[in-house]
Amino acid sequence: MEEAKAYIESGILELYVLGQLDAPEQEEVERMATLHPEIRSEMAAIELAMEKYAMEKAVQPKPQLMNKILQQINAGETLAEPEFKEAVVTPLTADPAPKSLKPLQFALAACLALLAMSIFALYTTHSRLSDANQQLIVMRQDREKFAATVNFMKDENKDLQQINQITTDPTWAKVKLAGTQISPKASLMVYWHKEGKHVMLDNASMSLPENDKEHQYQLWAIVQGKPVDLGVFDADSRPKKVLLDMKAVGNAQAFAVTLEKRGGSPGPTMEKMVLISSI
Amino acid sequence: MAELVRQTVYSIPLAATTKISLTEEQLVQGLKAQDTAAIKALYEQYSGALMGVIIRIIPIEEIAEDLLQDTFLRIWNSTRHYDPSKGRLFTWMMNIARNIAIDKYRSKDFRNGGKNQNIENNVDLINETNEVIFNADTLGIKEMVTKLKPEFNEVLEMVYFKGYTHVEAAEELSIPLGTVKTRIRMAIMELRKHFN
Repeated sequence: MEEAKAYIESGILELYVLGQLDAPEQEEVERMATLHPEIRSEMAAIELAMEKYAMEKAVQPKPQLMNKILQQINAGETLAEPEFKEAVVTPLTADPAPKSLKPLQFALAACLALLAMSIFALYTTHSRLSDANQQLIVMRQDREKFAATVNFMKDENKDLQQINQITTDPTWAKVKLAGTQISPKASLMVYWHKEGKHVMLDNASMSLPENDKEHQYQLWAIVQGKPVDLGVFDADSRPKKVLLDMKAVGNAQAFAVTLEKRGGSPGPTMEKMVLISSI
Repeated sequence: MAELVRQTVYSIPLAATTKISLTEEQLVQGLKAQDTAAIKALYEQYSGALMGVIIRIIPIEEIAEDLLQDTFLRIWNSTRHYDPSKGRLFTWMMNIARNIAIDKYRSKDFRNGGKNQNIENNVDLINETNEVIFNADTLGIKEMVTKLKPEFNEVLEMVYFKGYTHVEAAEELSIPLGTVKTRIRMAIMELRKHFN
């Protein structure tokens, strides 16, 4: 009895009626009400008072609302029941992530897709760039080759013009060197300007066996019976220049070519003489 | 019992302005049998009282009426969960109505609607306007309530009509939770005296 009285006076029944208690508290009140009839009747009195209070404070809705409600009921419309909501077990450590995670997951997927596309694009661009660089290198080489060719042809043309001039110029001596016994088929044309002491080899008309890497041909002038070094040259099937300037000499009786070690010798090796001229 | 309800309802001419009044037991039986006549009777008896609490929390008539509609649908669909041994039908319905209104008040769409004001202001507004127009016959209760100590009445009003929890009311008024409980109890005691 005392327990029930104290329970009533605690004010918990009022809170129960006002819907202020959580589920365990509600169950507790309901349990107490079944145990103590005076609690049950106190509760009923509170409920009745609140009901009358609410009736007194009533605000009438529009009359047509009734028909709308009936229509919805007949149409079988249902409104989510709060009991079902309460039945859902939500752990205390409920992770609020799943709801907010969904759009994030989409964003992540989108990011990954974008990343993959970017990598692919980057790779494609990179390989194209490599190709382009390769082509650029090839073209630069080509250009250099062409430039070299053009330069060579210019020089060649200049030399040819010079040869043409020389052949018509009487101040230039055109000395033909003929093969000796060891190379009867050899021949070479040397242009010599006596006054200018200018000696040039004509590569275009040269006919000499190609020399190896260890040896070079050496041109000599015979001045008063003594050989004078006029420089070395190579016999090349594809000469870089048509006209080759040699060392100067103003007074020579003859020209000769010997095969010497690369760089030339101070004196001619007579047995390796391949060409000789007489003036 | 469903039969009984039907007979009771249909025995009253449709054109009659008299309110259909059923006992609570009859209403509960009718609801549990999903008898639309019962929801009709329920509406006629209690729609005003339920609207009273909803519109004090959501003071926009259109929205409040939508919520009242929701309340009746939920009552209709959750009838099987109502246990008469635990309390009166009205207490159960009142809590449904209040929860629906509070859910709406706290919902994003309502708050973003720009129509929300301070909840207290809302109620004051309603008290000043709608109540007088809709319910001129509350004068009696007003007189009674003024006899009640205002601080007692204030707490009860906040919890019963304004959608506050008793914890929120304690915070709002800066008084201990125990005092809130006591004041609610005193206010209800006064009401009980008044109605008996």
